Amino acid sequence: MGKQIVKRDGRKVDFERKKIADAIFRAAQATGGQDYETAQNLAAEVEKMLEDELLCCPTVEQVQDIVEKVLVETGHARTAKKYILYRDERTRVREMNTRLMKVYEDLTFQSSFENDVKRENANIDGDTAMGTMLKYGSEGAKQFYDMFILDPEQAKAHREGDIHIHDMDFLTLTTTCCQIDLIKLFEDGFCTGHGFLREPNDIRSYSALACIAIQSNQNDQHGGQSVPNFDYSMSKGVKKTFRRCFTENLVKAIEIYLEQDDGEMLGKGIISKCEIQTGVWACMAGDNGFDEAVKSELLNHTDEKTANKIMHFVRKYALKEVKRNTYQAMEALVHNLNTMHSRAGAQIPFSSLNYGTDTSPEGRLVMECLLMATYDGLGNGETSIFPIHIFKVKEGVNFNPEDPNYDLFKLAMKVSAKRMFPNFSFIDAPFNLKYYKPNHPETECAYMGCRTRVLGNVYDPSREIVNGRGNLSFTSINLPRIAILSNGDVDLFFKQLDEKIDLVIKQLLDRFKIQSQKKVRNYPFLMGQGVWIDSDKLNPDDEVGEVLKHGTLTCGFIGLAECLKALIGVHHGESKDAQKLGLKIIKHMRERMDEAAEQYKLNFSLIATPAEGLSGRFVKIDRKRYGVIEGVTDRDYYTNSFHVPVYYPISAFEKIRIEAPYHELTNGGHISYIELDGDPTNNLEAFEQIVRYMKECGIGYGAINHPIDRDPVCGYTGIIGDVCPRCGRREGEGVPLEKLKKLGLYKNYNSTTIGYHGDQNEEADRMPNPIG
Amino acid sequence: MAKKYQVTEVNGVEVVGEGVGFERIRRITGYLVGTLDRFNNGKRAEEHDRVKHDSCDCSLTDSRSA
Repeated sequence: MGKQIVKRDGRKVDFERKKIADAIFRAAQATGGQDYETAQNLAAEVEKMLEDELLCCPTVEQVQDIVEKVLVETGHARTAKKYILYRDERTRVREMNTRLMKVYEDLTFQSSFENDVKRENANIDGDTAMGTMLKYGSEGAKQFYDMFILDPEQAKAHREGDIHIHDMDFLTLTTTCCQIDLIKLFEDGFCTGHGFLREPNDIRSYSALACIAIQSNQNDQHGGQSVPNFDYSMSKGVKKTFRRCFTENLVKAIEIYLEQDDGEMLGKGIISKCEIQTGVWACMAGDNGFDEAVKSELLNHTDEKTANKIMHFVRKYALKEVKRNTYQAMEALVHNLNTMHSRAGAQIPFSSLNYGTDTSPEGRLVMECLLMATYDGLGNGETSIFPIHIFKVKEGVNFNPEDPNYDLFKLAMKVSAKRMFPNFSFIDAPFNLKYYKPNHPETECAYMGCRTRVLGNVYDPSREIVNGRGNLSFTSINLPRIAILSNGDVDLFFKQLDEKIDLVIKQLLDRFKIQSQKKVRNYPFLMGQGVWIDSDKLNPDDEVGEVLKHGTLTCGFIGLAECLKALIGVHHGESKDAQKLGLKIIKHMRERMDEAAEQYKLNFSLIATPAEGLSGRFVKIDRKRYGVIEGVTDRDYYTNSFHVPVYYPISAFEKIRIEAPYHELTNGGHISYIELDGDPTNNLEAFEQIVRYMKECGIGYGAINHPIDRDPVCGYTGIIGDVCPRCGRREGEGVPLEKLKKLGLYKNYNSTTIGYHGDQNEEADRMPNPIG
Repeated sequence: MAKKYQVTEVNGVEVVGEGVGFERIRRITGYLVGTLDRFNNGKRAEEHDRVKHDSCDCSLTDSRSA
């Protein structure tokens, strides 16, 4: 008959009755039908109806409409139903494919300047080959899970913006983050999967291996990697390095003062004899009797005066060298953590280091050097982006002038005023203090840089520690949406909130089930090297479900401020009533998490969501749905978790007072920020006052933000408005060579080019603080 | 090899750094980012709206009693 139909892509092809018959037969088979002849008759009917309706060149959709009509009219209701379902499913898959291909097209041909998806994660350069490859994988995975893995109700809630399943591209693959205990990892060495590394013997190898551990573990997880005890774990390396420096300098001193050609045999002999005798090594403090033992050995070879000279020499140069080695080790660490890549080369690891409480000279040296290396900046004096430093503040250790590490607390603030790190965590906050046991660093609250906190443990109350634990997954609730839908009815709000919490609990459990079925071999480092708590007791083919129970399943929230605005017209920065209601909402969420934790004996917890990737997503959907609502959907972002909105003028102290009580409620993690005006390096007292006030108010984790600008031409770091305060150029303008020469910033390495050749003004400040 | 900035001539004066911008580091959602260019639209808007928190008007003791 020569009839043609129009395919979806616009091509015209010959109509084939057999294809219609086949489709009808498949639908009939799904309900138990076996009769192909009937299918053929029905197909003939379809063809006839097409002709009757005078469709000369029908589209695929029109043909399918006719098929449905024929099936219904001829009494094949069940087959019709199956046919419709099948058609819907095909449509959805087709749309998904088209959408995914459109996403790929945009990723391929748009720059990150035009494409928001490429900027979802600010630490991935979406314009690079590996960054784009990562986005292909990520976007494809999300659609796969949406279509085939997620419970349809959860998928819909995520799609429509009721909830946000974080890191959904990793839904079936891995868990979020981990606190890596380097002390345990380094014992007897470890394996990265590409070679075995012996237990390190020098602070420089300690710091290098710390980077490798962070990098390797980052390849097994999608979230951050943190070291909970950086001071304690590196101090062991300093001890070993000091012992070596002490020995080397004894050898040297013997050669000089005893005029021996080769002091090696005598020097090393004395050291090993004294080590056996005293049972200790030479130490930085020099207070363990080792020096005295060495001196008395020396007296067998020389007089008192020479022995004293030798001991003075050894101590002086051993200390000098251990400091230099440690500084170089920390400098290398900061450089490494800002340059070495993970995740197919698209990103550097999300590294965090917690420290502050080790009062040994070795631990103190580590912290001093790390802080100074951070203060000095990268190769051209730039501010380093990683690691996130978290200085653990503790009364009796570093908080007050009489405390042994108070000088380091001061130094930490000085560095933070220049580089925005360290952040400050507070062990004395009551909800952290209750887990604290003196001399057990593993009970000192440690944070993931971004804010995640794992400490309590309902699964195993005997293991309320930070080491080897982390978050498994987290899902956030869109609070403003619920408030908008409640229309000012607070009871209705709580009812709807509960429904969303139920949904999130179920979703976290579903995801946990998938995670639990993974095997040790899926995580060659995290589980294979015993980084995760108790994974060292498992074999490569064991499932990880049982040990994962030490991790947290976390519900988060975003936009408490906009939620309160929508409910009662004011946010918690503006009104005491709003604060009261805000606390009631968050307290309720926490109680629901505690109940779930009790019910499932899993660590359900509440997090003040770090809105990475989410800051603009919810509000975009809500504005489309509900229009522009003043104070709610009229900005391009919802306010982070429980924060007072960033646009709202409020004093630092008031902000701290308002936000502090939420820290206690959000046991899965929290952070408060203060935005400081001006250059805080000029006002360290104000800086300290804020940090101290955070501690007094019961903040768990806080940080101070201030702008850090840098002029790459003259190297100035600080605040730059329109004009660089040092060289006087505007953005994009050139600065006269004469001027740079006058400032002492230009060295004429060759005649046509110039770069940053070191900043004398800044380098003059670089004085390693004496360790006292 | 590191790139260096070209020396150019503007009105007979030798200058360096023409076309070179300032680097601006900000913290957003917990992480520092080396340039504002990589923020997504929501984050950019949030950074733009930020106001400073005054730390001068109330001393520690005052605010405790407040």
